[in-house]
Amino acid sequence: MKRQRGFSLVEVLAALLVLAVVITTTMAMFVERQKRMQAASETILAYQAIANEIEVRRRIPYAELEQADPAFVTDTTILKPLAPFAATVAVAPAQGYVKVVTLSVRWKNRVERVAITRVDTGGSNLW
Amino acid sequence: MVKRAHRSAGFTLMEVVVALAVFGVFLWIVVILTADMRNWEKRMPINYMTHPQISAVVSRLRRDVEDATQPYYLESSNGFNMSEKTLIVYRLMQAGTVETVVWDFSTEGTVTRHSFTSIGGETSKWTANGTPTFRITDFPIPGSPDSVRIQAFDKDGKLAIDQIIQPRTH
Repeated sequence: MKRQRGFSLVEVLAALLVLAVVITTTMAMFVERQKRMQAASETILAYQAIANEIEVRRRIPYAELEQADPAFVTDTTILKPLAPFAATVAVAPAQGYVKVVTLSVRWKNRVERVAITRVDTGGSNLW
Repeated sequence: MVKRAHRSAGFTLMEVVVALAVFGVFLWIVVILTADMRNWEKRMPINYMTHPQISAVVSRLRRDVEDATQPYYLESSNGFNMSEKTLIVYRLMQAGTVETVVWDFSTEGTVTRHSFTSIGGETSKWTANGTPTFRITDFPIPGSPDSVRIQAFDKDGKLAIDQIIQPRTH
């Protein structure tokens, strides 16, 4: 009678190894995709907060830019999922009549920055 | 010579334990990775900006408000009244004419944009479906009291869209 043999431990381990490599690769792709989606979603939240703050900063008179609050004055509830985060504004003179206003949102180990240029229009606020 | 009885070869307990241990470690890694992702998903609102219809609503609304001209907003027009669910914008068009645009958010899951000529005839109607709950409020900015704030909440009530828009100088 033909002898029925089972699989040896080495055979089973080899099969498991192949299976693990296939599933791990698939999972790695899945995780990488999730990470990128996460990064994109976080960036969108950060940019919404920055865009809102820009709307306020573009209306502050040119001469008063440095005296304005260095933290965001708009509501940052949209950034709640990124907590803990820091939302800051820095003003740096570029030339005699130009200032660069840089708005930053930092969270975890990431930072998103947008810089807008303000020009001294003599108080007309038209630019 | 005595013939050896047929031995059915199975796994020993040790073999099964080793194989399961290897697979168990692997499963543990998978569970850790997915738990991390689920945690993140719970914290984050739905990313509506990846939904074409919803990003179209936000873009068109932004354009309408940025193009708004005096008196910017109307209390009522063509049977609509300004509210948290209705925005009535008086906007300047490229040809130099004006039109009244009504953004109607009053129907859950639907956003409708109506545009009317200055004498009241409806010139276009555009509807977006599958939308979240929108809310329109004013957001006075010093030097720009006519700014509006558009917010949208996902089905769990998490704030997903929050945009402040102010009319541009023409």
